[in-house]
Amino acid sequence: MKISFTKRQYISLSSVVFMLALWKILSMHFDSDFILPTPEKTLATTLGLFGDSKFLIIVGSTVLRGLAGFILSAIMGLIIGIIAGINSSFNAFLRPILVTIRSTPIIALILLALIWLNPSLVPVFIAMLTMFPFICTNVIDGIKSIDPDLTSMAKFYKINRNKIIREVYIPAILPFIISGASSAMGIGWRAIITGEVLSQPKYGIGTVMQGAQTFLNVDAVIAWTILAVLISYGFEKAIRWSERKLIVWRF
Amino acid sequence: MSLEIKGLYKKFDEVSLYSDFNIGFPEGTITCILGPSGCGKTTLLNIIGNIIKPDKGELLGFEGKAISYIFQDPRLLPWKTVKGNIGFVMSKDIPAAERQKKVNQFIHLVELDDFTGYYPSKLSGGMRQRVSIARAFAYPSDIILMDEPLKGLDIKLKLNLIKTFSQIWQTDKRTVIFVTHDVDEALLLGDDIIVLSQAPVKISTRKKVEVPVTDRSLDSDYLKQLKRCLLEVLGN
Repeated sequence: MKISFTKRQYISLSSVVFMLALWKILSMHFDSDFILPTPEKTLATTLGLFGDSKFLIIVGSTVLRGLAGFILSAIMGLIIGIIAGINSSFNAFLRPILVTIRSTPIIALILLALIWLNPSLVPVFIAMLTMFPFICTNVIDGIKSIDPDLTSMAKFYKINRNKIIREVYIPAILPFIISGASSAMGIGWRAIITGEVLSQPKYGIGTVMQGAQTFLNVDAVIAWTILAVLISYGFEKAIRWSERKLIVWRF
Repeated sequence: MSLEIKGLYKKFDEVSLYSDFNIGFPEGTITCILGPSGCGKTTLLNIIGNIIKPDKGELLGFEGKAISYIFQDPRLLPWKTVKGNIGFVMSKDIPAAERQKKVNQFIHLVELDDFTGYYPSKLSGGMRQRVSIARAFAYPSDIILMDEPLKGLDIKLKLNLIKTFSQIWQTDKRTVIFVTHDVDEALLLGDDIIVLSQAPVKISTRKKVEVPVTDRSLDSDYLKQLKRCLLEVLGN
């Protein structure tokens, strides 16, 4: 099989090589594993993580928290977003709430959640709060973008309300939901790990990162970070894949 | 049998669009309504379609009649294929197999057999309007309302669509009310041509076209003479 690269892929690849080279130079300059381990050592540590007996449960716990937060925020965002998209008074009522949630520093939310909730619930709660405004806002924008000519056509043809919601509204807002999900995942993922670092649930990537930091295992901190980035990248890819499958009419 | 509107009154922003207006549409024929832009032709269709309410007036013979529409813009759902868009307006009460058969039948009549699985974004403007025509006929209506569906299309495409439309129309001769500002379109499609005046709207003239809709040519002396007469009334 012949793999061919486009010019843009070459440029992206050179950017990765640049980051690795910079990392290598800096690690040689500091010459200390406690400050910055070499890329090779970190790679070895990263690969070593897969052999860890608790690896699956640690990663699985974090991923499940992410999914739980995402599903909860998607359901809430969809329902509240549809209502706000249809009813402008409710939208006016909702806007300041969304702006407040969005502008509150994540760390402040975590500190409050730590006081109110069981530590294992904190990351899910934080993920939900950070993702919800993105999904909700996108659903509202999606509803507003619906071509009134299409809904009037459906009404002219006496199509019932349920069918209009199912076959006109939902497909019209689907691209907005997916783009909202993509931004939500990007920010939500970081929020979950921050939440885990501070709330220290029994298993979680944030928990082990905090442990590694305490013992100055810098290579382990970076290794888990790389893993977190890879998982986040995997989710982004999954969202893009589902976009191509669900919004086939656009491609 | 005839469909009639009697004593119609409709005001917009204190401007009286219709004031004691009366008009009739013979059933099973194509009535073309010609008139200057903004004279209230679309308003009349919206009143017939029960989309806007008249201030006063009676609509006789329209009760319980199903209506389908062909709009200026085809108004197709971008996420549905040709087949899906036509099937969209058909009730789930019709058995699936029958629905499918009907959809296919009209796709065939508008000559889009090779495009059934295409999304609107992949179709040309003329093809999209064909889907809209097929949708209007596939819907089990008694009346078809058309609001300048050929506006903005080039002359070749226009003639093509008129031919397709008249061929399908021949199959069950539904009552058609067709609004346009283009005299040629009216001459090629209308059994009756009604010219409306500026507001408050009155009927300036009403002409019958005595040639079958499938046999008309704009080059014929009969239509040329009729055209001159209509243009005179329209003030061109």
